[in-house]
Amino acid sequence: MAKFFSPFSDRFGKSAMFRTGFVISMAVLALALAGYVHTPFPPNAMDEGAKLAGISAGHLLGTDHLGRDMLSRLMAGTGMTLAIAFGTVMTGMAAGAFIGALCGYFGGIFDEVMMRVIDTLFAFPSILLALVFVSVFGSGRIHVMLALGIAFIPSFARTVRGEFLREKNRDYCMSARQHGISHMRIIFFHILPNIADVLISSALIGFNNAVLAEASLSFLGIGVQPPDSSLGRMLSESQQYLFKAPQMALLPGIVLVFSILGFSLMGEGVRNND
Amino acid sequence: MTDAPILSVKDLMIEFNDHTLPETAVFDFDLTLNAGEIVGIVGESGAGKSLSALAIAGLLKRHSMARNGSILFEGNNLLNCDREILRGFQGDEISVVFQEPLSSLNPAYRVGKQVEESLRIHHPEMSADERKERALAALEDAGLSDSGRVYNSYPHELSGGMRQRVMIAAAMISDPKILIADEPTTALDVTVQAQIIELFKKINREKRCAILFISHDLSLVKTLCHRVIVMKDGRIVEEGETEEVFYNPREDYTKQLIGAIPRIGEKKKSREAGETLIRMSRVDAGYRTGVSKNSFKTVLHDVSLELKAGEILGLAGESGSGKSTAARAIMGALEVTSGEILRAEGYEPYGNGMRMIFQDPYGSLNPAHTVEWILTEALTGGKRRKYPGGASAIREAVLNALDQAELSEELLSRKPRELSGGQRQRVAIAEAIISRPGLIIADEPVSALDVTVQQQIIALMERLRDEKGIAMLLISHDLRVIYRICDRVAIMKGGRIVEEGSVDRVYSAPEQVYTKELLAAALMET
Repeated sequence: MAKFFSPFSDRFGKSAMFRTGFVISMAVLALALAGYVHTPFPPNAMDEGAKLAGISAGHLLGTDHLGRDMLSRLMAGTGMTLAIAFGTVMTGMAAGAFIGALCGYFGGIFDEVMMRVIDTLFAFPSILLALVFVSVFGSGRIHVMLALGIAFIPSFARTVRGEFLREKNRDYCMSARQHGISHMRIIFFHILPNIADVLISSALIGFNNAVLAEASLSFLGIGVQPPDSSLGRMLSESQQYLFKAPQMALLPGIVLVFSILGFSLMGEGVRNND
Repeated sequence: MTDAPILSVKDLMIEFNDHTLPETAVFDFDLTLNAGEIVGIVGESGAGKSLSALAIAGLLKRHSMARNGSILFEGNNLLNCDREILRGFQGDEISVVFQEPLSSLNPAYRVGKQVEESLRIHHPEMSADERKERALAALEDAGLSDSGRVYNSYPHELSGGMRQRVMIAAAMISDPKILIADEPTTALDVTVQAQIIELFKKINREKRCAILFISHDLSLVKTLCHRVIVMKDGRIVEEGETEEVFYNPREDYTKQLIGAIPRIGEKKKSREAGETLIRMSRVDAGYRTGVSKNSFKTVLHDVSLELKAGEILGLAGESGSGKSTAARAIMGALEVTSGEILRAEGYEPYGNGMRMIFQDPYGSLNPAHTVEWILTEALTGGKRRKYPGGASAIREAVLNALDQAELSEELLSRKPRELSGGQRQRVAIAEAIISRPGLIIADEPVSALDVTVQQQIIALMERLRDEKGIAMLLISHDLRVIYRICDRVAIMKGGRIVEEGSVDRVYSAPEQVYTKELLAAALMET
């Protein structure tokens, strides 16, 4: 464990921004992970006797309009949102980095064509792209994850391409070529480790956008479907009860703000590194 | 020659306390500068010579340095006097010329305006016509006879040498008492360098301006300066009259520095060259600058070269003369339009017989990986699983290469940024020789290194030739380095080979005018 964390603390640990972000994100993550292990009540169980209840010993953070325990739903919802955001970033980054690396390294006609496609994708807001995708293939968490993942490809592809354009002309790449090392090996083993900082930072910032995008889609009712819980879903349900039960909007709102704040700070911390 | 001291620095200590831990960069720096005197500060990178000079010019951020000591100029201590007083001196009484003229001139303004700037600030009463007149005169004094045209040019329209003359004109326009020149010729070609040094001598003679000349190049300091200060690790090691320091150095470090200058004139022993590895005959070559059909640019014209086993061929010339392009042609990275390149087996492009060493080892060693990884990768060509003999054979070969490059085993787990400049270049050499090539192409392999390190790397390359019989093509702008190590030399200019022959012959009896000029400028001796 110590060995795993040591490169982190060496490279980024000095930045106060990164540290603050790390603490906040870990708190949000802990909430979500705890939700996978145990929730006080099943997140979807309704307590007919206690609808829109306030804070009490039975329901620590109150209940919603159907009498479901807010704490349990919050834990499950955070878990859902983070999981979707994680899947989104992984899909977007894997595909985007791959396309960007090939385009940047090889250049030429392949690069021209791919980049025009990426430009076209980039011209649409990612939420809009995801909307189109979801309305064609249907909603639900896997679809939301894929839709957002595809919508995230262009930004990753562009960033990685730019880095590769710069790195491929450095002497160490020319040096690798003269030792007869294959192009693919140069791309993935020689250049990629050198742009790890950039990748980590864009992944963290992308993660925020993904959290926000999931919340927006679910808020609009085309993301996570009831009875499943997610932060966006909970915000959406809270609309009609803002004054009767403010905790319904406040709680997911606060968690959303903190998770975005935490990951942004980490991302900025990595980017400002050195 | 000299009179009363105009500047005296006592116990100057410079510390950084903004970012990291407070770090003392200069200790107890003392200096007395007399009117009309040229004092040189020499030392290797990180010795603190530039910092000391910047402190004198008042260009260090005040909060980032401790104000220990004093810098007395005209009765004011520049370290703690009023900002206004300091500003009054800057650019008027004390001027600075920096190393890189392109980045010290603002690309958005015409040269004339920039030359006049210090007059505008310090003499606002002067009329525009008067200022222009002074600027034109200053440009002419700096050796720019076409001053009217230069006045109206932008920096990018001028050559490197002209830009540095403009910087000198800008520094000299207000007739300063002190001119601080921080490596003013390092970015210039040798022939231009010699002219700029002459200009400094003229300024000193005619304007009686004291010059503080900072350089890592001892031979320049020797020709120009009256007194020399030798610095190492932030401290003054030795100080004295130039002649005294150079011919009778007291300190070991000074002796080492002076000993590191390759000397010309020692008789070279002749060596038997082996079979021909690569022969270029009458090659024209170039590269495409764009996608269209007529974007081909021919850089090499009618170049003939022969590389033989066990021999070091030097390729000398000024920047833009086509040295590196010739190396790329030999590597097979250029399009040959006429003539031919004959290659022995194994010396085809990307063949196993040739390896290249780059100028800056920091760029040519992959920063993300350890020395062991880098060497293993070079040995196996990225196919480490298929290497005959497996992991133990790889390890043995890596250790052997490390040993050849005179590096210790403990460096294996370090990354390039954890190595010194000299160690990095040794790793680059180990990387090149690990696959046992017969020919190494080295593009300015020592230019980025300090002189003492330079000497060690040259000795290592010599040893590799003598013991392993590795042939080398050494590209360098430094004719001293070439003399020291090469058997034959080819002088290039404008993409052509001007003269070629054994080093002894070319250096003692150059046939071409250009070779003579180049040699005279490079080997400037007093």
